[in-house]
Amino acid sequence: MNVLGIPILTFITFFPVAGMLVVLALPASSARAIKLAANIFTGLEFAVTLLILTRFDAGSGEMQLVERLPWIKSLGAQYLLGIDGISLLLVLLTSLLTFVATLSSWGAVTGRLKEYYAFMLLLETGMVGVFLALDLLLFYVFWEVVLVPMYFLIGIWGGERRLYAAIKFFLYTLFGSVAMLVGILVLRAGHHSFDWMAMVAAGSVIPAALQGWIFLAFFLGFAIKVPMVPFHTWLPDAHVEAPTAGSVILAGVLLKMGSYGFLRFSLPLLPDAARRYAPAVAVLALVAIIYGALVSLMQKDMKKLIAYSSVSHMGFVMLGLAALTPMAAKGAVLQMINHGLSTGALFLVVGVLYERRHTRLISEFGGLASRMPVYAAVFLIMTMSSIGLPGLNGFIGEFMILMGTFPVSWLWTAVAATGIVLGAGYMLWLYQRVMFGAIVHPANESLKDLTVREFVTFLPLLVLVFWIGIFPKPFLDVIDKPVEKIIRIVNPAHFEAPR
Amino acid sequence: MIVPSGYGLRPLAPELVLLTAAAAALFVHLFAGRRGRRAAGYVALAGIGAAGFALALTPPSAGPLFGGHFVADPFALYFKAAILLAGALAIVMAFRFFDVEGGEPGEAYTLVLLAMVGMAAAVSAADVVTTYVSFELFAIPSYVLAGIFKKERRSAEAGIKYFFLGTLSSAIMLLGLALVFGLTGSTAYAEAGPALAGAEGRAVLVAMGLVFAGLFFKAAFVPFHMWAPDVYEGAPTPLVIFLSTAPKAAVVAVLVRAMTSLFGAYAAEWRLVLQVIAVATMLWGNLAALTQKSLKRMMGYSAIAQAGYLAIGLAAWGEAGRTAVLFYIVAYIVMNAAAFGLVLLVDKGGRFDESIDGLRGLARRAPGTAASVLVVLLSLTGIPPTAGFIGKYLLFTAAVEKGMILLAAAGALNSAISLFYYFRIGRAMFLEEAASAVPEAGSQTPESFSRDVTIFLAFCAAVLLSLGLLPTLLTTPAVSAILSR
Repeated sequence: MNVLGIPILTFITFFPVAGMLVVLALPASSARAIKLAANIFTGLEFAVTLLILTRFDAGSGEMQLVERLPWIKSLGAQYLLGIDGISLLLVLLTSLLTFVATLSSWGAVTGRLKEYYAFMLLLETGMVGVFLALDLLLFYVFWEVVLVPMYFLIGIWGGERRLYAAIKFFLYTLFGSVAMLVGILVLRAGHHSFDWMAMVAAGSVIPAALQGWIFLAFFLGFAIKVPMVPFHTWLPDAHVEAPTAGSVILAGVLLKMGSYGFLRFSLPLLPDAARRYAPAVAVLALVAIIYGALVSLMQKDMKKLIAYSSVSHMGFVMLGLAALTPMAAKGAVLQMINHGLSTGALFLVVGVLYERRHTRLISEFGGLASRMPVYAAVFLIMTMSSIGLPGLNGFIGEFMILMGTFPVSWLWTAVAATGIVLGAGYMLWLYQRVMFGAIVHPANESLKDLTVREFVTFLPLLVLVFWIGIFPKPFLDVIDKPVEKIIRIVNPAHFEAPR
Repeated sequence: MIVPSGYGLRPLAPELVLLTAAAAALFVHLFAGRRGRRAAGYVALAGIGAAGFALALTPPSAGPLFGGHFVADPFALYFKAAILLAGALAIVMAFRFFDVEGGEPGEAYTLVLLAMVGMAAAVSAADVVTTYVSFELFAIPSYVLAGIFKKERRSAEAGIKYFFLGTLSSAIMLLGLALVFGLTGSTAYAEAGPALAGAEGRAVLVAMGLVFAGLFFKAAFVPFHMWAPDVYEGAPTPLVIFLSTAPKAAVVAVLVRAMTSLFGAYAAEWRLVLQVIAVATMLWGNLAALTQKSLKRMMGYSAIAQAGYLAIGLAAWGEAGRTAVLFYIVAYIVMNAAAFGLVLLVDKGGRFDESIDGLRGLARRAPGTAASVLVVLLSLTGIPPTAGFIGKYLLFTAAVEKGMILLAAAGALNSAISLFYYFRIGRAMFLEEAASAVPEAGSQTPESFSRDVTIFLAFCAAVLLSLGLLPTLLTTPAVSAILSR
């Protein structure tokens, strides 16, 4: 399938770069043209990613629309892109959230527009590339491409401590990714290839002991990105200092790169090690769930609260993956999408208030529901989605994770369920303190409700939150086969055991 | 031995062209007077161009020439091209520098060319005597180049320091080479190598240790690096581009040749030594660079650390290791040329106050330059899609394939460490605002260099990017240079 004569996966990967070049070519003085161009490009990108659905075979677990070209022959690296249901959902999430993020930046970002949108578009290319690359070296290249624009987005347009947060983000993730690079090299030495499909087909040719080391190297890279406790300390800093759109992308997509990498590479390529270390990963995930939730309860800053809630929610995703059952893993993939939607939306919710009041302290607000009814409704829906209210998307994902984890360990399930209770606690308490009660601060008296542009920004997220909550079947159908294929490789015993 | 018929002096053509150009540059400088201070440079640049042309026409030959003293195999030709590149980059940057700073550019250009003659001969040397003589031929002009601003205290100190320690290291190397002769009774690699394999082990190890100590000194490997930060900081910046790149290329070529031809039987020993050297050099260079305030000194330590990565490839050896070394040396030359070119942006006439703060707000003042610098920084750190990444990737792969996983891990860890200081520059350029818009009165504003440096950095960035995206451009000649040996 081609778009303008270019294979579609290549097109969606590099279309944002074309947008970046256009933005860079525009004169810096014409702010409107720059904003318009960036929004058109991210919008078109989303439209084109939707086009994939017309040719995508949801019933297949194999890689589709594969594009293969020799890239660096002497290294055995190829330009190899492919998409399956897992990648498809994440690519759609990426293009949607990037569009939403650029749309939300219209009024929020005022300085150095050209660079801002250029970095945003470059970031999109990196993220889409990460989810499509099936050659490990290519994957690594895209993985690193993401770092630089994010560093600048935090460092230039961030809050007061942006310099510290930006370099911390960069150092942490680079440290993880160089560990991953060594893992990739060792993996290549065993397989003599970077080709994911060939590696999966070859099965486990690497001795179990060596697999363990590679697994740990990969895990360091992915766990820092997710982030899992104890590698999470960069996240609150980066989130709090990043501009709203940066936080949306960071929480919505970048964190998923870690869990996606774990599912796509660690599990099927290192099955023996994955089986061995899965319980340890699950325990770390449980620690993250509880710890993230407890720390969220204590936060005074709304953005920091949501940042820590991400630690907790991503703990759920990692628990689902570490349970090594198809049900839990499918729940985890769906939860990646859910978290992207709801947390992305919650950062936008906070961003709306920040634009109006230039503070994010919970104590500065209270009683906003009477002044901003539409805003209150949106905030409430997203809060409920984050908590996992039945009928909304969060419930489906968390329920599937718990259901899939239960046969493995009732204790894990019980601890994780406690996390949900805590989650309801901090989110509802946040909502109560910000929206209900009497208006204490006079500045809050005259707050304007959502503008039409802001509401349009939220609209796709709202639709999806309800859609996944009420009728998740199309989403689950897409990921069913690919997830099962991976779990079959890593945990064949699950399919043999009598039910 | 008889010189093969039909060759004549042709294999020596690049060296002869450079020598002629050196003499011509000196004369032009003598007669052009003060008006034509650039004239000698143009002559030198033309000479390098002509030498490149001569190099392209030189037929690669596998066997030794001139009585076994000299080889012109593809491996030597590859390194000669790299050395010509380093010299050209340095001279291009020197034009504007000497216009502003004064000094005697004609001498500098001549000395650069003379040093290049020595280096070109060194990479072709197939005999211990030729090796030593060509080493001295490039070492002595290097000492003078470091101290060329003789009235400048730091420059003079750099020259003296480089001279004393350099002479000492040369003497040590000479002793090692004398031992080789003593043990084998032959000076040609082709005969001494096999004889060494059968000689008494401990004596050979002593000889090897002495020769390598001399070579490691010239390559500024830790712990033989003490002279390097001072020389790199004290010498005039465009000449540092030359001094920090070209000698290392020559030394690496000589090392590779000595390892294969002379000490091939002792691979286990020198591979172990090089592993230790690699880790020590990367770690020390990076940690020391972390603490620097002066941009130039930081880049000096960075140049040391970058050379440590080369040692990974030498330790891994094998076809993959050597290919990686050949790729990385070119990436190294371009990256370091750009890194020291960057120093010129903050050079304010008071030659030795090169703090990073001078780069503040550069992204606002000169977005194009800042973008080029960003590419250079990514390449130095080893982040794709740049030549630095591919180079490091090749080095690490070579190490992993030989089972040296920890060595590769140490290299990877060092890239992460180096990010911290390289991105102090990125931070200053993009994230911080200029302290004051008004330049200090009476000082050279950074803008006095900006046009030349901008073009220079853009060129380097373009090279690094294209080698990062299409590494085959360089891996193909590198592989053929390795396989032909």
